Amino acid sequence: MHALSCLTSPSSPGKMLVVLRDGRKLHGVLRSYDQFANLVLEDTVERIYSGNAFAEKWCGLFLIRGENVVLLGEVDLDQEDDIPLRQVDFHVLDGYHRQDIATKKQRDEAKAKILYEQKGFCKEGGEGDGY
Amino acid sequence: MLPLSLLNAAQNKPMLVELKNGETFNGHLVNCDNFMNITLREVYQTNADGDRFWKVKECYIRGSTIKYLRVPDTLLDAVKEEQTRAREAGKSARGSHISGAGGRGRGIPQRGRGGARGGPIRGGGRGRGRGM
Repeated sequence: MHALSCLTSPSSPGKMLVVLRDGRKLHGVLRSYDQFANLVLEDTVERIYSGNAFAEKWCGLFLIRGENVVLLGEVDLDQEDDIPLRQVDFHVLDGYHRQDIATKKQRDEAKAKILYEQKGFCKEGGEGDGY
Repeated sequence: MLPLSLLNAAQNKPMLVELKNGETFNGHLVNCDNFMNITLREVYQTNADGDRFWKVKECYIRGSTIKYLRVPDTLLDAVKEEQTRAREAGKSARGSHISGAGGRGRGIPQRGRGGARGGPIRGGGRGRGRGM
C-alpha cells in the first residue's frame, strides 16, 4: 500500500497543504497521486506569510512533480480558524515576503561563509545542486 | 485519474511549466511521455526573476527538470466526463458479451444439484478502479 493512500479518501476531499522544496506553500484539494508522489491539486491557492499576516493567491489546477514535494498534510479547518494571523491582500504582502526571502538568503550565505572559512566545513550548494 | 494521465489529457491545452531553477514556460502542450518529458509550442519563456522574456516557437523540456505544471481548471472536469462516457460505453459492450458467453456456457454438463454454482466469485472489489 502506498504511504499516501491514508491521506486521500474519495469520500472526504479535505484541504491539503503542500510545501515545495523552494519553500512555496500550496493549499488545495488533493485529487490524485502516483508512486512518485506526483500530485494533482485542485482549487489551489499559494499562501505567503510575513510577520503576523498572511495572503493568498489563486492558482487553480496544479500538477506537481513528486521530487519537489517536501511535505503534504491535511489541514484541520477548525484549528485553522484559531490561527492568530490576519489575512491581507496578496500584493500588499508580496513585497515584504520577497524581502524576507532575500534577508534569509543573505543570512544563510553569511553563515555558510563563516562555516567554510573559519570552522572547517565543506562548501554546500553550487552549480547543479539546485536541481 | 493519475497525474500523468491528466498530463496526457492536456494535449493541445495551454499550460504553465515551472522548472526547478525557477524559469517558466507558457505554451500549448504538443506531446508528453511517461517520463513527463514534454514539447510545447508558441512558448513564452521567463527567467527565474521574472524580468526577462523570450518568445520560442517550439521547445522540448526534459521531465526531470520540471517543478510543476499549471493546467486549465476545466481540464479535470473534462477528463472525468470523458472517463464516465468511456465507462458507460465499456459497460454496455461488456454486457452483451457476457450474455453471449452465458448462452454458450449452458452447453457444459451440469454439476450436482444445489451445489455451489458457477466458477470463481465475480464482482466484489477487484476489477475496475474507483475512477480516481
